[in-house]
Amino acid sequence: MRIVRHGNLLAGAALLVLVFFSLSTAPRLWRGSARLISIEQMPDVGDACYRPSHADLNPSAAPEESLFSAFEPASVHAQDSGGTVDVTRAPVRHIVDTAPIYSSVGVDTQRDEVYLQDSNMWSIRVFSRLDNAKPGEPPTEPRRVIRGPKTGLQFNSCVWVDPAAGDIYSVENDTGDIIVVYPREATGDAAPKRSLKVTHRAYAIATDEDTKELFLSVQFPPQIAIYSKTASGNDRPLRLIQGPNTRLADSHGIAIDSKNRLLFVNNWGNISDLKVAGTGRFEPPSISVYPLNADGDTPPLRVIQGPKTQLDWPGSMSIDPGTGDLYVANDVGQSILVFHNGDRGDVAPSRVIKGPNTRLTYPVGVFVDSKNKEVWASNMGNSTATVYPLMANGDVPPLRTIRSAEENKESLRFGKTTALVYDSKREEILVPN
Amino acid sequence: MHPQIAAFARLAGENTPPVRVLEGQKTLISRTMHGFAYDAIHDEIVVTSPLAQAILTFRGGANGEEPPIRVIQGPHTQIQGDYPGTGANDRVSVDPVNGEYYMFSTPNTILVFDRAANGDVAPKRALGGPDTLISGRSASAVDPTRDLLMVNSSNRMLIFDRTANGNVKPKAIIQGPKSGMSTIESFQVYPPKGLIIAAAQGGYIGAWSIEDKGDAPPKTRIPVKQLTGYDPLGIAIDPVHKEIMFSAAANERTVRPPSGIMNTVITFSWPEIF
Repeated sequence: MRIVRHGNLLAGAALLVLVFFSLSTAPRLWRGSARLISIEQMPDVGDACYRPSHADLNPSAAPEESLFSAFEPASVHAQDSGGTVDVTRAPVRHIVDTAPIYSSVGVDTQRDEVYLQDSNMWSIRVFSRLDNAKPGEPPTEPRRVIRGPKTGLQFNSCVWVDPAAGDIYSVENDTGDIIVVYPREATGDAAPKRSLKVTHRAYAIATDEDTKELFLSVQFPPQIAIYSKTASGNDRPLRLIQGPNTRLADSHGIAIDSKNRLLFVNNWGNISDLKVAGTGRFEPPSISVYPLNADGDTPPLRVIQGPKTQLDWPGSMSIDPGTGDLYVANDVGQSILVFHNGDRGDVAPSRVIKGPNTRLTYPVGVFVDSKNKEVWASNMGNSTATVYPLMANGDVPPLRTIRSAEENKESLRFGKTTALVYDSKREEILVPN
Repeated sequence: MHPQIAAFARLAGENTPPVRVLEGQKTLISRTMHGFAYDAIHDEIVVTSPLAQAILTFRGGANGEEPPIRVIQGPHTQIQGDYPGTGANDRVSVDPVNGEYYMFSTPNTILVFDRAANGDVAPKRALGGPDTLISGRSASAVDPTRDLLMVNSSNRMLIFDRTANGNVKPKAIIQGPKSGMSTIESFQVYPPKGLIIAAAQGGYIGAWSIEDKGDAPPKTRIPVKQLTGYDPLGIAIDPVHKEIMFSAAANERTVRPPSGIMNTVITFSWPEIF
């Protein structure tokens, strides 16, 4: 983007000349013979990346008072009997986040690599497990990046690496409705080795290595779809956990305790029967626990739910196979919550990693590395992944940090910017995900 | 993944953080907010919570994990959806002058609620049925000065009397190849100039006259996709500064912006339409 600074007369004049010649090539909009009548200093608009516009140069001026009156602009409302007037000037501003926005973390403990899912640029970035961007150092360079139109990556919400085969699994959450699987060495614009079409609003996966089954959480209508781990194409689920008795409600994170044959699912509590009007309701967030072989409208064995739990938009989950402890990325809670395997009801977490020293900022991804006794978090709020001792508790600093932006970067946390409104009272643009 | 509503300063640019963010469990917001509204008269934000079949109203300055001040939800509301792909229950617009909310719901119906409604309340009107031609994802906007309701549905702009109710035919329809009328998640009307500002096919934002009908081309348009690489999804206007802004997100099937950045909000100066 062209930079125009206050007081930089030369740059301002050059840009005006550029605008002059640009407009002179739009005869449908601007008629007549153009004449440059003056060169003036650019206005101070308070934005270093701002491009001048016709309106900002003189928004209220009468045509004869404007620099652009030389071009005799046509009134758009005088075109009723003619064609459409195309306006081809450049935009004046754009709000974008130029850094990755990390939605998930996976670790290949066999090869000591960390995988970060980036939903802002549709990529998976792969780092050394031991990378550490210290304060004052530049951002961490990835070993490789999977990115490009052949990859099928879109607004993906989960990345997981098969510890045995090294295959990389990634779940699309919105526009693709697909799970893609890459070989371990995939890089660049790599096509997946296989893909599986899944239900809209898929969020996360976990696998049962005993049965070679893949469990997929779907936000809404909430369900857990269980596939063969090698399913591809349009293969159907082997079974579904869904229905009012399941108490699934806007399901997100999912984790499997293979030892105790249990499935853990967290829920945000937004629920309705889409086939019946007026059935919507809000429930408190929860973690529901099922037998691993559950099928159909199965009620949970137990539910963790209530104000003591501190759950606040829980994201992904991961289990320590040694202790059975359940780790929860607690997005808006700015924390990692750790529950005992058998917890139920309104129970406080046994440990909470939280506080300014942790550098946790909107953690939505979590991964337990039981081999190295570490727990990883991906932070949507600052383009980082941070790692802690597995038994960490309280306001503990990370052991290491993978950072993909400048220090103190505040992410815009864009997910998918579909809508917007303008708040004229505060002169603010409101943008939902 | 993280259904926040982030508020950016009007002059925000690349990497400028939001000045406030509405987010968290207590807000009751959820994913799939495809069209929402700011009520400038009452200083309120109005948004749907699609998965829970609700309309939420917040203070205009709401910030952080702030709960809504009103919630429309329950069996009397007739709110239904959101079935993937229908777009139902995922967008709402406001007529602040007459104090009404317009929400697209299943099956192909615009439900109209009193602005002050709270709890399990019935809609004041329900516009839907085969004669209305409302079909599929349908955004709405009101011109309170002309007492008209515009509904953007299936590449048509359907124009009704504001208080239309039931299965009624539109008063006028803008559609056809010359019109280029497309379908967008949200659009705007600008009553002082009698304009509808919506999406035109081919990646344009166009401005049609509210008096238009049939295969009427837009009076003027901006080829935003050609200029930016992004297709518009939502449109907002700022008449004071004579600007329009649009939101865009990539879609592998249709839009992969050259910048490689998949989310953006872009502002154009467009003094000619204000």
